[in-house]
Amino acid sequence: MKFELQHIVPDPLKGEAFLADSVWNQKVGFGSPEKILLNASSGKGKSTFINILYGLRKDYSGALIINEKPVEQYSIHDWIELRRGDLSFIPQDLQLFHSSTVLENLILKNKLTHQYNESIIIEMLERLGIGDKIHQSCGTLSMGQQQRVAIIRSLLQPFTFLLMDEPFSHLDEKNTAIAMNLINEVTEERGAGYVLTSLGSNHDQTFNRELNI
Amino acid sequence: MLSQLLFKKRNTLQFIFATAGAFIGLTALLLSVQLIQDVRGFQSADGDLFGPNMVVIQKKVTRLTTFGMNNTAFTEEDIAILESKDFIENVAPFQSADFKVGISEVIGDGLPHFYADMFFQSIPDDFMDVDVDWQWNEESAFIPIVLPRDFVMLINYGFAQSQGINQISEDVLMAARLTIHMEGNGKREKMIGRVVGFSHKISSILVPENFLSQANDKFGSGKKMQPGRVFIATNDDSYGALEELMEDMNLDIDKSAIDVAKIKTIVSVVVAIFGTAALIIMLLSLLGFVQYSQLILNKSTYEIRTLMRIGYRVNEILRSFMIRLSIIFGVICLSSIGIMLAIKFLWINVFLEDNGIPAVNTSVLLLMITGIITFIVFIGANYVNIRKSIISLGQGS
Repeated sequence: MKFELQHIVPDPLKGEAFLADSVWNQKVGFGSPEKILLNASSGKGKSTFINILYGLRKDYSGALIINEKPVEQYSIHDWIELRRGDLSFIPQDLQLFHSSTVLENLILKNKLTHQYNESIIIEMLERLGIGDKIHQSCGTLSMGQQQRVAIIRSLLQPFTFLLMDEPFSHLDEKNTAIAMNLINEVTEERGAGYVLTSLGSNHDQTFNRELNI
Repeated sequence: MLSQLLFKKRNTLQFIFATAGAFIGLTALLLSVQLIQDVRGFQSADGDLFGPNMVVIQKKVTRLTTFGMNNTAFTEEDIAILESKDFIENVAPFQSADFKVGISEVIGDGLPHFYADMFFQSIPDDFMDVDVDWQWNEESAFIPIVLPRDFVMLINYGFAQSQGINQISEDVLMAARLTIHMEGNGKREKMIGRVVGFSHKISSILVPENFLSQANDKFGSGKKMQPGRVFIATNDDSYGALEELMEDMNLDIDKSAIDVAKIKTIVSVVVAIFGTAALIIMLLSLLGFVQYSQLILNKSTYEIRTLMRIGYRVNEILRSFMIRLSIIFGVICLSSIGIMLAIKFLWINVFLEDNGIPAVNTSVLLLMITGIITFIVFIGANYVNIRKSIISLGQGS
């Protein structure tokens, strides 16, 4: 999967001056299997960046080209196909179904492509330390637990690129490392790349590349 | 699991209202469709309650007519006026025999000797109100004749009683052969005729049109005859217009024909109002249901948007909605048809039979078709609306 950003400036940041190595208002290209860290303090537009790449925001100038095709040419159906088989996402607000249980949230995603069988999903939950929560409603979980559910959900589909928007913001170092290991295992196994946004930490991880804002 | 998620936030009260509305609307629609069909099926002596109304018109005979100062014939201009009226679908002048006609018994057939002068008229076959074999050609064994039923009544209950002779049944009359004497244009001929039926509507002695044309050519004076009576076919709701025409052209129309026109007009107006009201109720309930599904969509905005974000296709979400709605509306349709049939068989038919009107068991096919069409329209309207809403939620994300 390949992304090409051509002088993208989000509407809310119009008129601001950007650094020479910023992703904004520059020509930037990246793709699988690159592992990329986007490090910046809050309010700089990390989520905007991720949401633009995932097709959730269109309020920007400049051009975004995904797999050699400008995003203007992507219909809602094209975006859904991309999200179903090529591009996965951990949104900052997680977007879980709060009234459904942990397992229901995961099965709902997994049954689209039957990526794993249920026992592997349960194994993943156990590995991330929430194996005892599978039948609990997501709404009753702590933010850290919900983050782990969202991380697992993002892996339950085929993808070549994974967008992660501050996925560990509510996890301690130990749990972050466990989750990061799982993500690395899965992405390496599939030859996929990712962009990880973070509030200053590199999570003791080496990346192929760092992007700035 | 998907539909559970989407329908989790539905409002039970709103669901009950929408369902009840659709149920009442559909039942009213089906009931009116069935009633219209039943009413159309009612037969009366004067023909169907629906369909063109056949009326014989003639000009009033006044004192002036009797003194020869007024003519009751319809001129070509009169016919053109009639043809130009919107409520008249068809105009057919009566053709009269332009020669002398007489009848007598066929010797050897057992009838007593008699001879009577008479006349013949003919009308286009379409206007015949009796179902008889009305074919005639030169090889035919006899000329078919249709008499007015009133004529038989007159003989049996008037003439026969006063003269002390036996009454004659219609069957006997139809079995007897008659000798027809025709004279005119210096020619004279006898042919065999036979009464083949009796008309409720037409007080005339009718023979097939092609026979009369040929006979007029042969025995007639050759001059064009203006018809004294005209047959018109009018629309169902033509009562007012017919009455106006009567006044304008000084016409004489059989009162029962006017009454039939009046009943037909009233019935068609009532049925039209009933049908329109049912259709409006139906459309309102359709709107109610669309609104209900819109409400579910609005309440599930987060779920629908998130599903598309995690890779659910528009059609997968749509299918979940449509399956649910099809089940709900399918149950509504079946219950409406069930209730409708119960009302028809247990109430309307019983009421009609109690009042001496045989219930017409028209086919329920139309009912089923109406149910299916309504189902398709309901599901179609919801499909279009829900699909549009889902796509706009996906695009707005």
